[in-house]
Amino acid sequence: MAVHSAINGTTAIPWRSSRKRLTLLEQLRGCQEAWCPGAPWDRERAHSAICGTPAGCFLIVRDSATCQPSLLCVSTGGDNDTVLDYNIKSTGKVFQLSESRLSFSDLAQLVLFYSLTRDVLAICLSIPQWIYCVTDKNRNHLSQLEPTETWLRTPPEQQTDEMTHKEPSTVMCSIQLTSTNGALCIINPLYLREHGDDWLTHGTTAAQSATLPSNIRRERRLSTTRTWAGAGVQSKRAISLDQEPTAASIESSGLSRARSADSHFPLDFSTPAVPTGVVLRRPSKDSACSPPHRASTGSLTVFTQTSRGSNSPVSELQQHGSPVPMSPHRVSWIEDGVWLSPPRPSSLLQPPSFELDSLSISSIEEEQESQMPSAASHHASAHRLADKVIHRLSAVGQALGGLVSQKKRLINRVQELSERKGGSFAENVKGFVEMTLKKGVDLDGVTGSEFLQEVRSSLTSLRETLLDYPEIQALLDSITDLSDAEIESLVELSLHKVAVKPVSAHLYSCIHASRIKDGTLERLQSNLRVLEKNKVEELGASAGVGVPDSSSLERIQQKWTSMHEAYSPNKKVDILLKVCKSIYHGMSANASSAGTVFGADDFLPCLTWVLLRSDLTTLQIDTDYMMELLDPTQLQGEGGYYLTTLYASLYYISSFRPRMPARQLSVEAQHSLNQWHRRRTLHCDQSRRSKNRRTIRRQMCRDRGSQNSQTDTESKEESGSVDVDKSPQQAGSSTEGLPPLSEEKPRGQEVKDVSKTPSSASDCNEQGILSKQKDRQTLCAGEDEQTKN
Amino acid sequence: MSSRGSGGRSNGTLPQTKICQFKLVLLGDMAVGKSSLVLRFVKGQFDEFQETTIGAAFLAQSVCLDDTTVKFEIWDTAGQERYHSLAPMYYRGAQAAIVVFDITKPETFERAKAWVKELQRQASPNIVIALAGNKADLAEKRLVEYEEAQTYAEDTGLLFMETSAKTAMNVNELFLAIAKKMPKTDTQNPTHAARHRGVNLQDPDAHSTRACCGGN
Repeated sequence: MAVHSAINGTTAIPWRSSRKRLTLLEQLRGCQEAWCPGAPWDRERAHSAICGTPAGCFLIVRDSATCQPSLLCVSTGGDNDTVLDYNIKSTGKVFQLSESRLSFSDLAQLVLFYSLTRDVLAICLSIPQWIYCVTDKNRNHLSQLEPTETWLRTPPEQQTDEMTHKEPSTVMCSIQLTSTNGALCIINPLYLREHGDDWLTHGTTAAQSATLPSNIRRERRLSTTRTWAGAGVQSKRAISLDQEPTAASIESSGLSRARSADSHFPLDFSTPAVPTGVVLRRPSKDSACSPPHRASTGSLTVFTQTSRGSNSPVSELQQHGSPVPMSPHRVSWIEDGVWLSPPRPSSLLQPPSFELDSLSISSIEEEQESQMPSAASHHASAHRLADKVIHRLSAVGQALGGLVSQKKRLINRVQELSERKGGSFAENVKGFVEMTLKKGVDLDGVTGSEFLQEVRSSLTSLRETLLDYPEIQALLDSITDLSDAEIESLVELSLHKVAVKPVSAHLYSCIHASRIKDGTLERLQSNLRVLEKNKVEELGASAGVGVPDSSSLERIQQKWTSMHEAYSPNKKVDILLKVCKSIYHGMSANASSAGTVFGADDFLPCLTWVLLRSDLTTLQIDTDYMMELLDPTQLQGEGGYYLTTLYASLYYISSFRPRMPARQLSVEAQHSLNQWHRRRTLHCDQSRRSKNRRTIRRQMCRDRGSQNSQTDTESKEESGSVDVDKSPQQAGSSTEGLPPLSEEKPRGQEVKDVSKTPSSASDCNEQGILSKQKDRQTLCAGEDEQTKN
Repeated sequence: MSSRGSGGRSNGTLPQTKICQFKLVLLGDMAVGKSSLVLRFVKGQFDEFQETTIGAAFLAQSVCLDDTTVKFEIWDTAGQERYHSLAPMYYRGAQAAIVVFDITKPETFERAKAWVKELQRQASPNIVIALAGNKADLAEKRLVEYEEAQTYAEDTGLLFMETSAKTAMNVNELFLAIAKKMPKTDTQNPTHAARHRGVNLQDPDAHSTRACCGGN
C-alpha cells in the first residue's frame, strides 16, 4: 500500500522539491558589468564613484588597453574617503591579486572569496544585499545595472526592506550552496596550507589568550568541515544559532559585541569550544570601521556589510570596537567584523535561551540545569561542569554539521510565522490557544483524554497550515542530513514551542482534574502506600537485580522534574529515556552478579520500584500528556517502548488491588486499555506529511476505517468477554486460556480477558463491518473539521 | 527521537535495498530466556546494522534478506503473571511475535500456548508468530518433547524452532525465518514502514502477500 513513490529506496518527499535559486556566485556573475564596468571606466572615475561609500564597497576597473580586469578599488569608508587599490594579475586563465598567492578561475570567484575573506585586503569586499534577491526570473535585469546607480548606491533602507521580505522565501541551506559551489571549498584548505594558522596568535591581547588554544583547535576543525564557506555566503540571511543569543543580548543590553561574548558564559571562560565564540581583535587602519572580531564557532556565521547604513545596529556596535593592532595575514571567516548580524527585523531575534542547543539529545542535561531554579545552580559541581563541557562540545560538533542551526532556524521561522500579523498560521495558532484556554478545567463533560485528542488533532491541522508555507517547505528542503522521522520530530518541536507552550500549564490542570475525577490519582496514592515497602524482588524482579542508589534516585527525581517542566511531549520522552538509562545503570551497577543484561522481566519491576519513590501524580499527568499529544509517529521505536512501559507501570500501580475481587477490575482495566489503544490507532495516520496526506486522504480514510474496525472489534469483543467472565460456566475457559501461576492466582485472574471463545470470531467480523462504517463516518467528519481549521 | 541509526542511513549505503521495519514482541514466562535469545541474535549480527539502545528491553536490529533489509524493533515484555494485563499494550500493532518457553519447564510451554491463543485472538490478525523452545542446550533436562511442541506449532500455524541462547543454536535461523515470513510490500523506508504499520496488517493486500511469502 505504497502511497509514496519510491526512488532508490527512499521516498520522494513532497516538500523537498528543490526550487531554482541562484547561487551568490551566479548572481555575481550576472551583474559583473555593474561591479566590473568596461570603458570608459578608469581608476579616477572608479575612485570618485566609490568615494564616500561605506567600507568594503568596490569596483573593478579594466585595463584600458587590454580590457583585462586590472585594478580592484575598495572603499575604506569613514571620513577620510580613502579608496585602496589592489592590482589584479591575470595570467592565462586565472585571476589573482598581485599581493596574494591565491588565484581564481574567474573574477566573480575572486570577488566572492574576498567578500568572505580579507586575505591581503585591508577590508573585506562588501556585496550589496539586493543581490540575494536575484532569482532566475530577474537575472536578465542584472546585466543592465549601472555601477554608480545600483551597485554602489543602493539605499540601505531599500536593501533592508528587500531583505526582510525576500528572506523567508530564499533561505536555503548553506550546505547545498557549498556543494554547488566548489570554489570555496577548494580555496580554504589551500590558504591554510599556505599560511598555517599560527597567525591566529598574532595580535591577540593577553586577556584573550586564555581561550586561544581551543580556538585554534576549533578553527582547524572548521577548516575541514564542508560548511563554512557556503555558510558564509548564504548566511547573510541565515542567522547563526551560536551567535544569536549574543546578538540578542547586545540588543537588549547595549553591550558591545565583544564584551558580550566575553561575559555571556562567564563560567565557561576557560572551557574549550564555547558556542558563543571567542573574541579576536583584528587590526585595522581605520579603527572606527573595524569592529571587534570574534572567531566564529558555528559553521554558519553571520555577516553583513561592514558599515553600510548608519541606522543599522551594526554601525552602533562598531563604535564600541576597540582599536587593535594589525597583522599582515588574516582570514576573515573566523573573524567576525564582516560577519556581523545583518540588520533584520527584531521579531527574528530570539531571546537568549536554554534552547541554544537543546535540540540535541546530548544537551538535555544542560537544559535541565538551566531550567533549574537558581538556588540549585549553586550546587554546580566539578562533575557537572565537566558534563557541561561535554555537552557544549557536542553542541559545537553539531553546529559544525550545520544541524543545530538548521533546527534553530526552523524553530525561529515558525515562531516568526506565529507572530506574523494576519497570517493564516498566526491566526490559527492564536485561535487554538484561545480555544484551549477557554476550556474550563472541569472540561464540561468531556473526558481528559478526549480533550487532549482534540488538542492533538488541532496540532496536526496547525502543522498542515505550517507546511503550506513555501518558506517552511524551502527550509525543510534545505535540511538534508536528517531522516524523515527526525524532520517530523523537528517540525513537531517547532510547533510545540508556539502552540503547546502557552497552553501546557492549562493542559496539566485539565489532566489533573480529569484524573481526579476518574479516581486514578486516588488509587495511585492508596496503592503507593501498599506497595512502597516492596522490595524490587517483591515486585517481580529476579533475585540480585540492583536498584538505583539514593543519589541516583535523587538525580532521577530531578529528571522527572525537568520532564514535567518541559512543555514539548517530544522533549519529555527524551528525558524519560534518560531516566530509563539511569535505571538500567542502577540495575547493573548494583546487581549482585556483574555483567548481567536485563530485559523487561527485570526492567518493568525496577521502573515500578522507582515510580513508587516518585511523584506519581505528576508522572501520571506527564504520561497522559505524552501519550495523547505526541505525534503518533513519534510513539514508535525506543521512545514509544519506554513510554508504553511507563504507562504500563503506572497502570499496574493504580490497578493493584490485592484483596479485591478480580473480575470487577477487569472491566475497568480493559476498558481503559482499549480506550488508550483506540486513541493511538485513531491518530496513527493523521500525522502523515502534508501533501501526501491531501492526496491520499480518501484512501487513508478507508484504511483507518479498517484499522479502527479492528480496534473497535476488540473492544466489543472484550466488553463481551467481560460479560462472559461474569458467568461461572465461562470461568473455566478463562483458566484454560491462560494457566495462572500459583504465586499470583488471585490477581492473575483479574486480567483474564482472554476468555473469548473462538467461535465468536465470525461475530466480530460482523461487528467489524458495522464499526468500520461508523468509524469511517467519524473519521471523515473529523477530517472535514480539520480542513475547516 | 530514537529512530536514528542504521535503519535510517542504510538507504545511502544500500541504494537498491528495500527496507522493511517491523515491530516484534517477545512473550513468554519469566526467565525462559526471552532477552537472552534476542541479545544473542543482536550480538551475532554485524554492528553496522545495530542500533544502540539504552537497554535490553528494547532492541533494534536489521537483517539482510536478499534484496530487503528487515529491521526488527524488538519489544520485550515482562513475563511475570502479575504483569500479564499489561501485555496488550506491548503486542498491539506488532507484526511479529516470538513466544518463548523453556524446554525444561513444562509449565512455561503451557503458558506459551496461552500466549499464542491470546495473540491469535487479540493481536493483529496477520501477526507472524514463532514459537521458540529455548534452552535446547539442556537436552538432558528436557521435559517438553520436541515432537509435542512441533505438532502443536503445526496445528496452530506457527513457526517453531528449538533454540539455545547459550550456544546460539537456531537463533539467527529463527529471526531469519520470521523475516522471510513478513510481508514486504510497502515499506520503502523505515519511517514510512513505521507509519504504515497499523494499516498494512489490516490491508487485504497484505493478506495475499503474506500468503505468498508465507510458504517459507
